Amino acid sequence: MFCLLLRRSAVHNSCKLISKQIAKPAFYTPHNALHTTIPRRHGEFEWQDPKSTDEIVNITYVDKDGKRTKVQGKVGDNVLYLAHRHGIEMEGACEASLACTTCHVYVQHDYLQKLKEAEEQEDDLLDMAPFLRENSRLGCQILLDKSMEGMELELPKATRNFYVDGHKPKPH
Amino acid sequence: MQKVLGRIQAQVLRSRATNALANVVRHEATSSRTAAKPAATSKEFRERQVRFNIKNEQTEGRPLYLDAQATTPMDPRVLDAMLPYLTNFYGNPHSRTHAYGWETESAVEKAREQVATLIGADPKEIIFTSGATESNNIAVKGVARFYGTKKRHVITTQTEHKCVLDSCRALENEGFKVTYLPVLANGLIDLQQLEETITSETSLVSIMTVNNEIGVRQPVDEIGKLCRSRRVFFHTDAAQAVGKVPLDVNAMNIDLMSISGHKIYGPKGVGALYVRRRPRVRLEPIQSGGGQERGLRSGTVPAPLAVGLGAAAELSLREMDYDKKWVDFLSNRLLDRISSALPHVIRNGDAKATYNGCLNLSFAYVEGESLLMALKDVALSSGSACTSASLEPSYVLRAIGTDEDLAHSSIRFGIGRFTTVEEVDYTADKCIKHVERLREMSPLWEMVQEGIDLKTIQWSQH
Repeated sequence: MFCLLLRRSAVHNSCKLISKQIAKPAFYTPHNALHTTIPRRHGEFEWQDPKSTDEIVNITYVDKDGKRTKVQGKVGDNVLYLAHRHGIEMEGACEASLACTTCHVYVQHDYLQKLKEAEEQEDDLLDMAPFLRENSRLGCQILLDKSMEGMELELPKATRNFYVDGHKPKPH
Repeated sequence: MQKVLGRIQAQVLRSRATNALANVVRHEATSSRTAAKPAATSKEFRERQVRFNIKNEQTEGRPLYLDAQATTPMDPRVLDAMLPYLTNFYGNPHSRTHAYGWETESAVEKAREQVATLIGADPKEIIFTSGATESNNIAVKGVARFYGTKKRHVITTQTEHKCVLDSCRALENEGFKVTYLPVLANGLIDLQQLEETITSETSLVSIMTVNNEIGVRQPVDEIGKLCRSRRVFFHTDAAQAVGKVPLDVNAMNIDLMSISGHKIYGPKGVGALYVRRRPRVRLEPIQSGGGQERGLRSGTVPAPLAVGLGAAAELSLREMDYDKKWVDFLSNRLLDRISSALPHVIRNGDAKATYNGCLNLSFAYVEGESLLMALKDVALSSGSACTSASLEPSYVLRAIGTDEDLAHSSIRFGIGRFTTVEEVDYTADKCIKHVERLREMSPLWEMVQEGIDLKTIQWSQH
């Protein structure tokens, strides 16, 4: 935190030096020269609780053994990171960068139409997913909204990174 | 050296075709076979007709090749393209960490592009397989099984290739309902009947583009339009059509298309399957493994074969117009020559909606197998190479309503890019001679000559 403050003041000072040499518009202030925020880790948004009941979206994960886990998410939550928060075995090896299929889920048919249509890249990746079905999607591409209230997401029997010795890959 | 020889050979083959098309028939020293002997004088021919003696006939070297539907010779230019990948460039195209893999991968991707261009597809929609049989299996079983939870009905025709029919049989075993559409007497399907057969349960319609036995060309553009309007996937086995007739998967609304390498002057053991990406067709893969070929066909792609298929596809596209004119010219010549000399010759299948390179003729009152044996110096077929061991008459001919005796008397003439005028003329003359000889030996022919209607005769059982 201290490093960030130091860096911010250094940037601020350099902006001051530059601003002396450049003709500035009337509305210019040194404070809007550069704005920095503390970086947020992948999935950190999902670790925040809903701010109001209007934001709440309840969904259910069904793991490969049929165990059902009811989860309270919120509008804007990514299904992959929400699963990580609640200890559900959804790997997400590529950190939601659309480069793998380890967050493959089956979406309840009634809710399939409510999701944003899959991009070509997601469709191409789904071709590679084992145990593909008509209602297959990549969890990392599903962002919750109110229309998804009550949605069930089923996990496939195995993903591309499965191990016959029972090893379970952990999210990074 | 090899490349130079290949090019010379290609030029020789091409020049033979060009000269013949211009009706310049001359002996070529470069030809691998001796030209057919000049036609005998009419007096000699009459004497020979009387004697019908074939005991002393001998064939020198290999027979002439007129079975282009079974397979085609590899174009020397295809071999040229393949050779580097059979020798120095031996990397696995799926190896991502070194140059051996990269150079082979780029060659495979170029081949994918060449195949895609031939049928108006996107390269990403081309899946390399081991041939049209595998492509048909993946397409028919793959689509049906993937959508099988909701839709349990598949439509095909009675004249499809065995691998499509057997795939459908396998699906029936799994509880799917399959409709085998009959065809009209000309071999074409009834579009209205197809429309009436499609239900909300139908997931796939599989109808071949050009039939491998009778050469009939189905109206795939109309079938495609109908299937698209009813939201049913349309697969076509185009092994006999690709590279010979113009095809455009988008204009024709084709969702899946099977392609074979050795039917278009490419190598054996390689083919392709076109799988549409928008609207996306999903398949349940038959082969599991490393997820190559979009996960639809795992296994290392054989780079030399894929390169060969690509080269063959590019050549077919470039020379399609020329090949068509050449094949039409030879086919008409063969048909005219035979039908003008022999009565009771029936062309099987529609005369207009057809690919002329496949000419299926029935010679009434002649046993087809006997005729094949007599024409031992010409490589011909009495039907599909896949079923030629069977004594049953062709199921395709039975489907178009051909009488069993006529079905047994049919011969398929396959004309291709490298067929010459001399070969066609020699085959026609030999065919005429032996049909006449075999008819002379036939009591049925004698009865017909006497004006007896064979259909009125009640034959005793034996």
